[in-house]
Amino acid sequence: MSKIGTPQELDSLRESILKKRDPNNTCVTVCGGTGCTAWGGDGVRAAFAEEIERRGLENKVEVKKTGCHGFCERGPLVVILPKEIFYPQVTKDDVPEIVSKTIIGEEIVERLLYTDPASGKKIVFDYEVPFYAKQRRIVFRDNGRIDPTDISDYIAHDGYAALSKALTSMTPQQIIEAVEESGLRGRGGAGFPTGRKWRLVRAAIGDTRYIVCNGDEGDPGAFMDRSVLEGNPHLVLEGMLIAAYAIGAKAGYVYVRAEYPLAVKHLRTAISQAEELGLLGENILGSGFSFEIRIKEGAGAFVCGEETALLASIEGRRGMPRPRPPFPAQAGLWGKPTNINNVETYANVPSIIINGADWYSRLGTETSKGTKIFSLTGKVNNTGLVEVPMGTTLGEVIDGIGGGIPKGRRFKAVQTGGPSGGCIPSTQLGLPIDYESLAAVGSIMGSGGMVIMDETTCMVDIARYFLTFTQTESCGKCVPCRLGTKRMLEILTRITEGKGAEGDIELLVELGEGIKDASLCGLGQTCPNPVLSTINYFRDEYEAHIREKRCPAAVCEALVYAPCEHSCPLNVDAVGYIALISEGRFGEALNLVRERNPLAGICGRVCHHPCEDKCRRGDLDEPIAIATLKRFAADYGAKAGIETKVSLAKPRNEKVAIVGSGPAGLNAAFHLARRGYQATIFEALPVVGGMLAVGIPEYRLPREVLQADIEFITGLGVEIKTNTPVGPDLSSGGLLEQGFKAVFIAVGAHKGQKLAIPGEDLEGVFDGVSFLRDLNLGKGVSLGDKVAVIGGGNVAVDAARSALRLGAKRASIVYRRSREEMPANEEEIEEAEREGIEFLYLAAPSRILGRDGKVMSMECIRMELGEFDASGRRRPVPIKGSEFLMDVDTVVSAIGQSPDLSFLGGDDGLDTTTGGTFVVDPVTLATNRPSVFAGGDAVTGPATVIEAMAAGEKAAISIDRYLRGQDMREKRFREPRKRAEEAWEAETEATTERRLEIPRLPIKERLCDFRQVNLGFSEEMAVKEAKRCLRCDLRK
Amino acid sequence: MARVSLTIDGNRLEVDAGATILQAAKGAGIEIPHLCYLESLPPSSACRLCVVEVEGARNLVASCSYPVVTDMVVRTNTERVAKARRLALELLLSDHPFDCMTCEKSGACDLERYAYELGVSTTRFQGEKHAYPIDETNPFFVRDYNKCILCGRCVTACNEVQFVEAIDLTHRGFNTRVAAPFDRPLQESTCIFCGQCVAVCPVGALTEKLRRFKGREWELRKVATVCPYCGVGCNIELSVKDDRIIKVTSPATGVVNEGRLCVKGKFGFDYVNSPDRLTTPLIREGGKDGRFREASWEEALDVVASRLRQIKEESGPDSLAVTTSAKCTNEENYLLQKFARAVLGTNNVDHCARLCHASTVTGLGMAFGSAAMTNSIGEIRYADCIFIIGSNTSENHPVIALEVKEAVRRGGAKLIVADPRKIEMVEFADLWLRQNPGTDVALINGMVNVIISENLYDAEFVRRRTEGFEQLKEGIKDYHPSYVAQITGVPADDLCKAARTYARSPRASILYAMGITQHVAGTDNVLALANLALLTGNLGKESSGVNPLRGQNNVQGACDMGALPNFLPGYQLVVDKDVRGRFEEAWQTPLPDQPGLTLMEMMHEAEAGEIKGMYIMGEDPVLSHPNSARVVKGLKNLDFLVVQDIFLSETAKLADVVLPGVSFAEKDGTFTNTERRIQRVRKAIEPIGESRADWLIISELASKLGHPMRYEGPEVIMDEIASLTPIYGGVHYDRLNGRGLQWPCRDRQDLGTRYLHKDQFPRGLGKFHPIGYQEPSELPDDEYPFILSTGRVLFHWHGGTISRRSTGLTAIYPEAKVEINPQDAEVLRCSDGDLVQVVSRRGKVIAKAKVTDRSPQGVVFMTFHFREAAANLLTVDTLDPVAKIPEFKICSVQINKCS
Repeated sequence: MSKIGTPQELDSLRESILKKRDPNNTCVTVCGGTGCTAWGGDGVRAAFAEEIERRGLENKVEVKKTGCHGFCERGPLVVILPKEIFYPQVTKDDVPEIVSKTIIGEEIVERLLYTDPASGKKIVFDYEVPFYAKQRRIVFRDNGRIDPTDISDYIAHDGYAALSKALTSMTPQQIIEAVEESGLRGRGGAGFPTGRKWRLVRAAIGDTRYIVCNGDEGDPGAFMDRSVLEGNPHLVLEGMLIAAYAIGAKAGYVYVRAEYPLAVKHLRTAISQAEELGLLGENILGSGFSFEIRIKEGAGAFVCGEETALLASIEGRRGMPRPRPPFPAQAGLWGKPTNINNVETYANVPSIIINGADWYSRLGTETSKGTKIFSLTGKVNNTGLVEVPMGTTLGEVIDGIGGGIPKGRRFKAVQTGGPSGGCIPSTQLGLPIDYESLAAVGSIMGSGGMVIMDETTCMVDIARYFLTFTQTESCGKCVPCRLGTKRMLEILTRITEGKGAEGDIELLVELGEGIKDASLCGLGQTCPNPVLSTINYFRDEYEAHIREKRCPAAVCEALVYAPCEHSCPLNVDAVGYIALISEGRFGEALNLVRERNPLAGICGRVCHHPCEDKCRRGDLDEPIAIATLKRFAADYGAKAGIETKVSLAKPRNEKVAIVGSGPAGLNAAFHLARRGYQATIFEALPVVGGMLAVGIPEYRLPREVLQADIEFITGLGVEIKTNTPVGPDLSSGGLLEQGFKAVFIAVGAHKGQKLAIPGEDLEGVFDGVSFLRDLNLGKGVSLGDKVAVIGGGNVAVDAARSALRLGAKRASIVYRRSREEMPANEEEIEEAEREGIEFLYLAAPSRILGRDGKVMSMECIRMELGEFDASGRRRPVPIKGSEFLMDVDTVVSAIGQSPDLSFLGGDDGLDTTTGGTFVVDPVTLATNRPSVFAGGDAVTGPATVIEAMAAGEKAAISIDRYLRGQDMREKRFREPRKRAEEAWEAETEATTERRLEIPRLPIKERLCDFRQVNLGFSEEMAVKEAKRCLRCDLRK
Repeated sequence: MARVSLTIDGNRLEVDAGATILQAAKGAGIEIPHLCYLESLPPSSACRLCVVEVEGARNLVASCSYPVVTDMVVRTNTERVAKARRLALELLLSDHPFDCMTCEKSGACDLERYAYELGVSTTRFQGEKHAYPIDETNPFFVRDYNKCILCGRCVTACNEVQFVEAIDLTHRGFNTRVAAPFDRPLQESTCIFCGQCVAVCPVGALTEKLRRFKGREWELRKVATVCPYCGVGCNIELSVKDDRIIKVTSPATGVVNEGRLCVKGKFGFDYVNSPDRLTTPLIREGGKDGRFREASWEEALDVVASRLRQIKEESGPDSLAVTTSAKCTNEENYLLQKFARAVLGTNNVDHCARLCHASTVTGLGMAFGSAAMTNSIGEIRYADCIFIIGSNTSENHPVIALEVKEAVRRGGAKLIVADPRKIEMVEFADLWLRQNPGTDVALINGMVNVIISENLYDAEFVRRRTEGFEQLKEGIKDYHPSYVAQITGVPADDLCKAARTYARSPRASILYAMGITQHVAGTDNVLALANLALLTGNLGKESSGVNPLRGQNNVQGACDMGALPNFLPGYQLVVDKDVRGRFEEAWQTPLPDQPGLTLMEMMHEAEAGEIKGMYIMGEDPVLSHPNSARVVKGLKNLDFLVVQDIFLSETAKLADVVLPGVSFAEKDGTFTNTERRIQRVRKAIEPIGESRADWLIISELASKLGHPMRYEGPEVIMDEIASLTPIYGGVHYDRLNGRGLQWPCRDRQDLGTRYLHKDQFPRGLGKFHPIGYQEPSELPDDEYPFILSTGRVLFHWHGGTISRRSTGLTAIYPEAKVEINPQDAEVLRCSDGDLVQVVSRRGKVIAKAKVTDRSPQGVVFMTFHFREAAANLLTVDTLDPVAKIPEFKICSVQINKCS
């Protein structure tokens, strides 16, 4: 191509390029970005070229290597134009089929289509893939469409039209005004108004000015600049040219990381092509404006992203920030006024010039205009680059575009802005993404990194990780950053190693704030963010590490024996008993379970098993069926009549009273008995077990199993008095007068919450917990035929499934959110679905209608999920006018429960919360009265069996210490478990089998009575499943 | 200057725009603590101790770099500020040893000071501490990385003040530290051991080796004086304890060098306390081949007096000769020339200026009527163009080189370097002219030719201030660039470029030294340079001129004092009857009326037996004179030789009587530096052993010879000098504190003269001298195919008498080297470190080869510092016919690799 001398020549070149192209011709675009190249994209492209040539279609079908499409996780990506048929994860072997079917036959290859993980639907077109559909692409507009190594392709897509417009019809002043009015702010992170910066540079004194493009993208996980430079380098050059014309610069630099070889290569090609065409160099488009661009490859120092360090690096000095002022706008490169913007900032400019400031400023929020590219990484289903308008909420990006968290795990936090950004918790998912909002929650926009974390991320460890990065990347110049981050890192490391001390958190905060306040450059001023924000939002995790030597996410190696053991509130040695089971040593396995958990049979059935959530095998395929294996051990013991032996201390004289025989009370009794105390449980109901007995239906927990576990405890000398309510005549004070040296109140939460809608008093309206209690106590409960249960927890599912078993013709669960948010155990929901329970999601009752005092129907209103609320879930919002009637005769309310403390009579002087729970010291469970302790649901509100049991143990430890006159807080937490001397060495590698399906009672056999549904493993199955264990305990 | 008003801690103040908050606060009496900031260095804002609150700023700002803005509200003493400062200190202390009880810096340590002032006695951060090995690899200073607070001052000083760039921060994060490239020892870097880093270190990370365990900071007494090495005349302070110099520092406020020093000035002082010092007079017994014995002063002086008297009486006063010393004070030089003229009755008095700048004295005398640096050192940095020719500035006048570098790096000056060797200044040059040795006249004439033919000369200046332009024009007309290129080897384009750059610059300064003067055409060279400056009007104004860089600390003063055979003090001609009359009246004795012998002539006459007695003070002609075998022959031929020195030099070894003088640190007096600045030298310690101040020895000897000299002290001598020397007329010790005085300084009201020839030249008009190029006296031939050029290196000084008695200097540069171009080395089959024999028609020496492209092909270079390989055994003693300066720079030699 010969040089273009005028704007008219550019136009006619464009026309001639377009003339040669038939827009209806098929074009196979194969992503050539670094991500897809790594997936093997080059091979796929070559295969297309070969296949098309083989079939003689060269003249009809074009094969094009484009820049990055953004959905890097699913590469190599192929989009067939003009229809935009989308095939992800294409291999060379798929190519002949695509050519023969789609290109020649105009037929879709089903098996290659993208399946939306959320809806399960197959998607044909690129623009319908949720990952793309919800984006708004300005900078990325042509990234997946054009060949970045061919300037004519860029020109065909209106490339350099903005430059032409700027040079021919705009003065530099007008350009600066347009950029100012557009509201464009620096995309490098600090968000300085771009137009204002240009104005400052233009106004600076001196004849020589420079343009610098900051492509030193150093944030781990962020690669948007690379993607733009690789995929559309001319867009950046055009932005720089316009900026140069506006500020009066004749030379510019692109500072790009040497680790981006493809970006460097494409840039070089682009620069030389632009020079050849005269779009760079002397007298561009005959305007008299001249500009040259050089590339400076950075050597990979993170701090060189800081503008003054970057300039030093270009000048050949150590990349180290210097104090500002003077700002680069006044004294930049070689002391001359310099405009330095980020890659993405320049890439926005051509669109602004072409479409106008108004068009641009209509996108975004009041203070943050336009779009921003984010790189979505971490624990999210769809990773890749995402361009959205400013003001899009975090939740929309993570959930809507990112497709949520894989493996059904829970979102925990998102870290924005690279290693110096803060971790934003789920309570902030409704936050609109803009510079100010992110700052307000303790994070930054940065260059747009977004690292998603789920419950398997330890927030202390992640803070330590980011700080390790910033400390090693600190240039070492200023004291707070060089030494402050080191000391922070040491404290964090100490905490993750279980060596944290009281005061460490405060010291971290002091250091962090001090470093932010006094550091020289942006690196130091932001790098404490991950620490400060995690302390702010996840202080309890820090405290768990420091006070309990526990890592709630089961990550910190020094504290974690195995994730299953660590995440168990009772620290049952799951990996140990699984190993024993795998060797057929079932009795020993049960012994090992009961060493920590007396209720093996119960927990094997009803525990919500956090152990399985953290099981590392789950990262490979599915977690080990830990609970079912525990149940197997318990059942085996019961069947084989094995007597479990646990160690007991020398008997002591002190008597301890326990109020309530639920899991908390039982476990407290177990641990007190083992310490030699005489424990007496007072139970108001006629049966032992609390919610285990009166809350959980028999089909989940047969009575004999409950009985067996209770007998194990009473076998240790624990006395249980049923039908013995502790009332005004036997108040806790009274118990003490009776000679009990300490009292543990564990009365649970047995009071159902009201719906608070009209018609609640009608006959046929039940409270879920009362209903289950009456059912379990064998009181005759008669429900109608058409039962609606309101709520989404286990009580709701239990009630509905029980209703079916009681003969209801139809049982429905009405839940105001969607299935994903439902708090009930996943397997309970699945079983309920199998049993034919009807689920009405996104609906809420508004009133219950009755006739003759009886329920006749229920009016509901449909809900939709709106903004994310403080719980990190989308808030259900009623849809006006969507009311509908449900034909029901029974309504069961299961929306929550609270403790019933009426038995105290109000004169015990125990502090309670407004929510009606006891106020206790969170570490010791001591109430405000000496010698009186409380725990379980009565303190926490409705929780799980295993959490209640943990509270029981906690109380037992406190009582023991109290009665011995020891400090109740000091060093009460156990050392991390060490592998037993007699280690169950793994002789073989874990098997590659998938998780075994747990045998269940056939549906048709279930609904007539309350027989146990889950049948448990056979011996053979148990051994097989146990052999899947990865033996995390042996990894060190 | 514009003023800005702001509020600091509630005080409304007004300061110059451009001031920093720290400066503004200081002006208002508010002290802001700081560790990395140093007034003389650009701020780096690293320590964060100087942070303050500025209303409206999100973060604390570093006051050391933050400029004041109108109506800014600053708070320097809030709790937030105090917290940040304490945190910074606490963090620093968390990685700092607590060994203040043995730390050399204790008492002068800024970290210690602020820890005390802010009450930070301990640290809450008990983490990793560095335990780096202490770097003692260089002979001058110790770098204790563990004490380093990474303030960056040393790096800034190295890079921005000394322009050496030997060190920088390296590694990252907690492991950041200061290092030379690739963590190699400093010796393998560009380090020149100037000690600037040591000088600016606020803590005990960098300490001088010589001071270790010799005294705590608070025990040291500081004496302000002048460096004894080169003619730059750097201001130094001697730290003294127990009559011993512990270390040398230089105040940033000091005139001339502003705190900058070179390795010799900073670390080369321990010769003063060398065990080799002469501590008692020595008398040779048993004739010329006899041995020295110690003697009392009385006896020694009696011997000297009687022998001198005897020779004078037997052979006449002109059979005696005296050499004074450019290392001694003005007062001593004055006294010794007075001794020669008034006591001995001869004008046979000269000194080593004859060997360095005699041609300057003659050349500039002819052109302007006065021969000294026309301008001041401090003006160099404001020049637009600097033309360095025949000066290895960075090695021989390091601090002047810094001014040049300053001009280039910060002032944007164009630097032209003309030198056959690739000296360090070439790295800073815009243009390097690598002329063939000895072709300077052709080169300069070529430039003059271009300037005239391109009409770039200052016609107005030429018309108004000069004479002889037409003759010049005629004289240089053949020196067109292509012709000059043939002679000099400098491409014609480069020559033109140099001429244009020099001529077009509003202020162009010529710096030259012995590369110009030490030639048989030395006077011609100087005249040619004078032509260049006159032609372009670069005289009589700031930052321009013709600037001979004088070699020794007081060589300017020795000349000023009349230690020259043809001049009485102040360049007053001995042949002038009126002048003589004034001195005869003052000295109350008749004076000889004909010029005496020059230095080389004295030696030749000694050889010839005409000179029979010689008095040599503080010089070592055996090493410093050319063709030294002949010098030795001459000295041995004397009837009587007295040497007054502080060491038993090679020359002293030949003496009949040796009188122990003292070093600069043991006496009072003045030195006059190369820019004509008269500065005080102050006594810091008592004379070593029985040694005596040189002025005292001369006085006593004069008295013994019947001419009583009774001076209470040097101050009185200076008063006598001032009364007899018009250019020193206003000089009095009272006026020399601080900045000293630059002559001409004619009376007590005269503030001295920064640059010469403002309105007119001493001779009236500046005179052009058409000069023709002539070949050097000895050129290579088949037998002696190489040109030998001699000179000095950074680390040594002259005959090495003092520098080789400095432990550090000796350690870093222990032996002589012969610089050979790599291509020549290949032909000679010798490589770096091989021993080679260098042979000339006059002698031979053996030294190690240093293969380097510093030397051009066909040229080898040697220093004359090492008696073991004395270059002057090889050099020729052909003299410039006018100035009588020998041609040190060119002789021909053969090189043989030793087997």
